Amino acid sequence: MKKYVLVRALYSVVTLWLLVTIVFGLVRLTGDPVAMKAEAGADPAYVAQLRQSWGLDQPLYRQYAGFIGRLLRADFGHSFEKSLPVRDIYFERLPNSLKLGLAAFLISIALGVPFGMLSALKVNSSWDNAGKMVALLGLSMPGFFVGLVLIIVFGIQLRWLPVLGKGGSAFVWSAPSTWLTFWFRDWNHLVMPAFALGWYFSGAMLRITRSGMLDVLGSDYIKLVRLKGVPERMVVAKHALKNSMIPVLTFAGLNLLIMVNVAVVIEVIFNWPGVGQLLYDALSNRDFPMVQGVVLMSGLMIVLLNFTIDVLYGYVDPRIRLSR
Amino acid sequence: MVYGLLLLLTTLTVTATSCADAAEKGILNVPLAQLDIKPAQVEARGTPRGTLTIAMHFALDPGWLDPLEHSYAVTQQMYDYLVHDAMIKPMPYGYVTYGLAEHAELAADFRRAAFRLRPGLKFHDGHPLTTADVKWTYENFKGAYAKIFHDKLEHIQVVDDRTIIFHFKEPFIDFMDLYNGGVGGIGWIVPKHYYEKAGRDGFKANPIGAGPYKLVSQEAGVQMVFEAFEGYWRRTPAAKTIIVKGIRDPAARMAGLQTGELDLAFGMTGKLLPRLMSDPNLRWDPNFTGPWWLMFPGYNEQNSPFHDKRVREAVSLAINRRFLVQQETQGISKVWGNWISPENRDALQGPDAPAPEYDVAKAKQLMAQAGFPNGFDVEYLPFPPYFDMGERILTDLRAIGIRGKLQSLEGPAFRAKIGQGRKGVPGNRTIVQNIDPRAGGSKANIAVYAVCASTASFICEPQIESLWAKHQASRDLAERERLVKAIQRILLAEYYFVPIYWNSFVHGIGPRVLPEGKAVSKYWDTLNAPYPWPWEVWEVKADR
Repeated sequence: MKKYVLVRALYSVVTLWLLVTIVFGLVRLTGDPVAMKAEAGADPAYVAQLRQSWGLDQPLYRQYAGFIGRLLRADFGHSFEKSLPVRDIYFERLPNSLKLGLAAFLISIALGVPFGMLSALKVNSSWDNAGKMVALLGLSMPGFFVGLVLIIVFGIQLRWLPVLGKGGSAFVWSAPSTWLTFWFRDWNHLVMPAFALGWYFSGAMLRITRSGMLDVLGSDYIKLVRLKGVPERMVVAKHALKNSMIPVLTFAGLNLLIMVNVAVVIEVIFNWPGVGQLLYDALSNRDFPMVQGVVLMSGLMIVLLNFTIDVLYGYVDPRIRLSR
Repeated sequence: MVYGLLLLLTTLTVTATSCADAAEKGILNVPLAQLDIKPAQVEARGTPRGTLTIAMHFALDPGWLDPLEHSYAVTQQMYDYLVHDAMIKPMPYGYVTYGLAEHAELAADFRRAAFRLRPGLKFHDGHPLTTADVKWTYENFKGAYAKIFHDKLEHIQVVDDRTIIFHFKEPFIDFMDLYNGGVGGIGWIVPKHYYEKAGRDGFKANPIGAGPYKLVSQEAGVQMVFEAFEGYWRRTPAAKTIIVKGIRDPAARMAGLQTGELDLAFGMTGKLLPRLMSDPNLRWDPNFTGPWWLMFPGYNEQNSPFHDKRVREAVSLAINRRFLVQQETQGISKVWGNWISPENRDALQGPDAPAPEYDVAKAKQLMAQAGFPNGFDVEYLPFPPYFDMGERILTDLRAIGIRGKLQSLEGPAFRAKIGQGRKGVPGNRTIVQNIDPRAGGSKANIAVYAVCASTASFICEPQIESLWAKHQASRDLAERERLVKAIQRILLAEYYFVPIYWNSFVHGIGPRVLPEGKAVSKYWDTLNAPYPWPWEVWEVKADR
């Protein structure tokens, strides 16, 4: 088992190294960030100084070596566009994304899982049709459309909810008093963006719950349980639900990472100061260090999740660790 | 009682006279160049109240809070006017007005410039602002135009805490223009003691200045919160708190205005403008910035269709500017005959640059005469995000056979392309639609877009070069003005640039901003400013 974990850890490190190397190369294909910042008519000396201060006057291999060296010290460099250390800006935004992502995640679970189960249990009934309709709407109505409708109805017409930003609460790493209060304040700001983001994922969640549940309900061991005369409620709650949730939870974990890291459109519409909007700004401004930092952190989360899943699979199923 | 009043009046008069004397007392004692610097208007002190929430149309950069690394972008001046203060700067009462300085002199040979600071100036932390800070700012400045300032400088003489003289190696004719806070960053004074302590990053995160507002907090790219600095020398800022948010999506800015979460939103021109104008709770200001104009990169190459003046003229004749103004800005903008804003010094306007005519038949005739009766294909590069406007212009051009493919780029990518001139736009069948509300007089526009030496210029004409060389060599300000105007005449007569209309970059205003009604437009009185500074005059209703 130890060897298996070590091999998986090595794979994870190699994956991360490949990721940062590819991103390092790809961002540099987008063009010259200095030309973007310099404006028309900028003095060549100013341009040269900007290039030097951003380290772009160095040959590519030196830039790469510097980048990797800094990464090993957990330093992502300075943002070209926002002039401060990338790490500081990223960790200022991350709690906002986590707050939005977690709320959207809960909404997608709360909508998707019960409706999915209901659809599976009442298959081909009007409940099932209603569930299918919800799934279809969830998948076909993009989050930005739902977001705009919510803004018009609940923000502009009814004036029930604010439409911009996250409110006054902030997670400040240097102020422990905010570490808890941040999650429970300004919920009125969170409702619409979380629903618009969670809505899309709830459709997918509903479908995967339904199919998972149907698979399990049709399996031999459930038939055996039923033959033993166990009441249907117990069959579902005790025997079917747990097993049908395995693919749902795997899927939900990945969804959560996506919601935290790339909720770009929703963040832009609601001006939610998350990591997605940070990446969007960075990409459109050729802010190399910021793009590298954000992609690396997203990649790190995904790699860690996969590593954890791999290790857990290996732990629960010896065939997996022996086969590798 | 009467005696007492007389005594008080006499004392006030003597004090005022001695202050004025102090301000007017000479520093250089040599023949001086004539300067047109308006005196500062010191206003009544009051109590700040209310919160003004502003939406900018892009993400906020903490670097904008540091004048030492001032960029060329005019946006940074919005933050200069909040946190910092300049020796001289544009204000509603004059394009060059006294700020921190109460008196300035420029030697007639342009080799020396002197300033006297007004008494009792303080930074936000209470530390006095002296000529040591002015000297340190100049010497450590690394931003726009830094090279010219450092190359020209011989030495800086600090006469006393309030008097400073800059000695130049050679005549520095443009010094006052470039030192003016409306053009660059070197004139915005940074506290030496604090910058050295806080460092580069520390200063950007928590800057201190001598301006009307103190930064309270910021989330990089998202929001900055400022609070009134009641010790500001000119007046007590009217609004207690100013919150600036970076909101890129225009629909989000519009929604914020409608829900009352925003009091002022920039960049409302375009599709949302009718919604803004029809909302009875909201107001707007036309905020004229610069004119739109078309450029023809590579026109001077023989195989470019734009090499022929008749084609360039045909392009101008084919554009229905009145319709465009109506469609794009609900009729607010003005059809204009020059590519430089009339608010910029020495810009041709009125009969010197009449509104271009619209005559499709004549345009077709010119195209046929130039050998293009069936037209040709071009790339069309519009200033983002004005893609609708670009499509409308292309529709007009299609009527004379010019078929365009519109390239939609993000703002920074477009600026990067244009900033590199021919390197950024290498073909010779491209039309660029540009706008640049640049300060610093018309010569600044010409220096960037119309002379060979500029990397951003598509123009390289011997006639213009000769006039420009004379301009650069001349110390006669009247002659310089004549030369700048002569260059503009050539650019317009030869259709090297095709002006379209003087753009209104509409700003939306919420109901909490005072005064009520249209009087709110007073905030946009500063010449050649795309944003409504200064901020200390903005009044809002008290917070609920």
